[in-house]
Amino acid sequence: MNWFSSTEQQQLLKTLERESEKLHFTERRHFLKNALVMAGSGALALHGGQALAGNQNLPPNVPQWTGKLGDGVLTNPYGQPSKYENQTIRRTVPWLTADAISSISMTPLHSLKGIITPNGLVFERYHAGVPTINPDEHRLIIHGLVDRPLIFTMDDLRRFPSVSEIKFLECPANGGMEWKGPQMEALQFTHGMISCCEWSGVRLSTLLDEAGVKPQGKWILAEGADGAAMARSIPIEKALDDTIVVYAQNGEALRPEQGYPLRLVNPGWEGNTSIKWLRRLEVGDKPWHMREETSKYTDLMPDGRAQQFSFVQECNSVITSPSPELPFKGGKGWYEIEGLAWSGRGKIKAVDISFDGGINWQQAPLKGLVLSKCLTRFSTMINWHGDPMLLQSRAVDETGYVQPTLKQLRAQRGGNSIYHKNAIHTWKVNANGSVQNVQLA
Amino acid sequence: MFNWRKVTGWLLLVLSTAAIAEQYNLGKPASEKVIAGWDIDVRPDGLGLPKGSGSVEEGEALYDQKCANCHGSFGEGEGRWPKLAGGEDTLRDERPEKTVGSYWPYASTLWDYIHRAMPFNAPQSLATDEVYAITAYVLNLNELVDGEFVLTQDNLATIEMPNKNGFYVDNRPDVANPRCMKNCKDPESIKVIATIAGITPTDHFKHDGNDGVAYQESAVGVTATPEVVKTYQNACKMCHDTGLNDAPKTGDVAAWQKRLNQGKPAIYNNALKGINGMPAKGGRTDLSDEMVKSIVDYMLELSE
Ligand code: HEC
Ligand code: HEC
Repeated sequence: MNWFSSTEQQQLLKTLERESEKLHFTERRHFLKNALVMAGSGALALHGGQALAGNQNLPPNVPQWTGKLGDGVLTNPYGQPSKYENQTIRRTVPWLTADAISSISMTPLHSLKGIITPNGLVFERYHAGVPTINPDEHRLIIHGLVDRPLIFTMDDLRRFPSVSEIKFLECPANGGMEWKGPQMEALQFTHGMISCCEWSGVRLSTLLDEAGVKPQGKWILAEGADGAAMARSIPIEKALDDTIVVYAQNGEALRPEQGYPLRLVNPGWEGNTSIKWLRRLEVGDKPWHMREETSKYTDLMPDGRAQQFSFVQECNSVITSPSPELPFKGGKGWYEIEGLAWSGRGKIKAVDISFDGGINWQQAPLKGLVLSKCLTRFSTMINWHGDPMLLQSRAVDETGYVQPTLKQLRAQRGGNSIYHKNAIHTWKVNANGSVQNVQLA
Repeated sequence: MFNWRKVTGWLLLVLSTAAIAEQYNLGKPASEKVIAGWDIDVRPDGLGLPKGSGSVEEGEALYDQKCANCHGSFGEGEGRWPKLAGGEDTLRDERPEKTVGSYWPYASTLWDYIHRAMPFNAPQSLATDEVYAITAYVLNLNELVDGEFVLTQDNLATIEMPNKNGFYVDNRPDVANPRCMKNCKDPESIKVIATIAGITPTDHFKHDGNDGVAYQESAVGVTATPEVVKTYQNACKMCHDTGLNDAPKTGDVAAWQKRLNQGKPAIYNNALKGINGMPAKGGRTDLSDEMVKSIVDYMLELSE
């Protein structure tokens, strides 16, 4: 079966010739015939803009909504999105887990702009469902190797000096379904286990100072009040560095799905360490080897051994537009290519874009805020001539680490590690403007 | 005249607000008794284990009653619930099976996890000795202890798990990609691998897309609304897909036929008010009567 029609092939050839003018090889045509594995069908029905000619709401007519009064204040005491935005929702892939109570849903990255994830769209991951916690009856205990074991109410915690920081939170399994091959037909499922919020709360170091950590204290166990009593061991260096005990997100109280009334946020680290519904912090001299740091969230390597305490979410990026959900609908012409980059090790330094599957790259400007351990936007304009493209982005962080190819990651880690797949992602843009998730072997 | 006293007073005030307070004296001392109720963690060296014991034999009976519906009589995992046993020497395979026996480095983790989170439908409901007994039995299912074994707070830390040396601390960054900008690879080397079509929900952006549910478990031809199906999955499935506590399994025609003899109103009533192992509204008293009845209709539809 043919991926590309013969006209598409000709067009792709033209693109590649344009993009790779400096290539020193002769048989470009030969390459095209052989290089592309012809498989699957590219047929895709796009939601085209319907012809609205004669519509009574379009100029020169006066629209219905202009000719009458709208709802008054407090019609929605807590505001909701327009009813026309009812497809901007979290979604899941139903067969991923055995039960919705221990499962995951993904953020609709294609529908979002900027770097902040609205609270209702932050991806969800629970191991025993969302508990309904009365904040007046919630407590945080700090004990173990401390001078003063303490118990705090929510009111106590709100009296400490607070910080507000914009940080991404990502599940280490983001993209993990695709270690062995492309499976997901949408951006929401390939990359949607990530969010970015402004988190407000107290630095964990402030609370630890209050309790007085003993010199032998090297690890901290953080534990949730949910039915999974989700627990992780966190090294004291991180706890004293940038960890926050959080009670608010994007200005309002945490959402139940994100740990109401209290959670941990370990900036740049795999999401499951940022324990939700936080009830207890115990200081110890060794890690605990909880189920979530042995059976789960360890990365199995080809030699049969596994990496443990693999905390950092390494530098990653993805193009959000175009994407399978946001094809080039309008035919040839100008489009903004936009995407997100992030790194658990600090700031994004640069993002490169390739149109030809990684043969040639050009740097794309970053826009808006460029903050440490935070989603960062990049974008560039292209005048699309209707040619097929193999579109990729490659992020570089301030440590100089360059986002790797999938081939490089697989060569090092095999295909069974489930977590931490931060490889360069490829979208195939077809001549009809549709976009497909592909991998380059 | 210049008032030195006043100046010194101001200085002191400035110092006491600007100096970073070591302690704010917020919160209350946590007493040992208060901490004890929540301090449930157990470490590989046995620190945190409460006094107690349980035998493989006691564990078998408890496991069959409280765990086997989901995890299988031999730990093989019913349906898509996690496997707890087997998978020895598969960690290098194409499809490794990571179980307690093949993967977990410490027995303490098993005790800790069962105690904090299992059984899934009733977390932290097991008594200390029950946790010892069930842990012993899961170890026995993995052939790590024999049938006579009695697990106690003193011998748990001495149990050696087969994969105890199978872990090392994260050594990333483990891959270095040079930031090449031009002619970075041979175009001939590019092979495009397409996505497996039809297993991702795509109906929200494709006219011919699918909802991804068919691939899960087929529930074709049901008339229930998505809301009803979703609520069933959140509130009832855990017991009624598995037969937990002897709940009639959804889809088990014979089991439901027997119950239908009492008439539908009685069935509704039992679902609303509860009966034996069936809590009122499945424990979800927040659900409306209408919703519960609709779910019952859905369950009956799947079981005829
Ligand atoms: C209603 C179904 C159900 C029942 C009953 C149940 N479990 Fe589980 N069990 C689960 C689910 C679901 C998970 C995975 C939870 C998660 O995703 O975090 C799990 C996970 C586990 C794990 C960890 C598996 C791994 O590889 O990480 C162990 C061990 C376990 N259960 C033991 C038990 C024991 C012992 C009992 C009985 C006391 C029990 N379970 C009863 C559903 C069940
Ligand atoms: C904790 C496990 C559990 C949950 C959760 C649960 N059930 Fe049940 N259910 C049972 C058991 C056990 C029985 C069998 C009771 C008996 O007849 O002894 C049962 C029986 C029933 C029956 C048959 C009653 C009869 O008259 O024969 C219906 C109908 C039913 N459940 C509906 C539901 C619905 C609807 C939900 C979700 C809202 C639900 N159940 C959630 C355990 C459960």
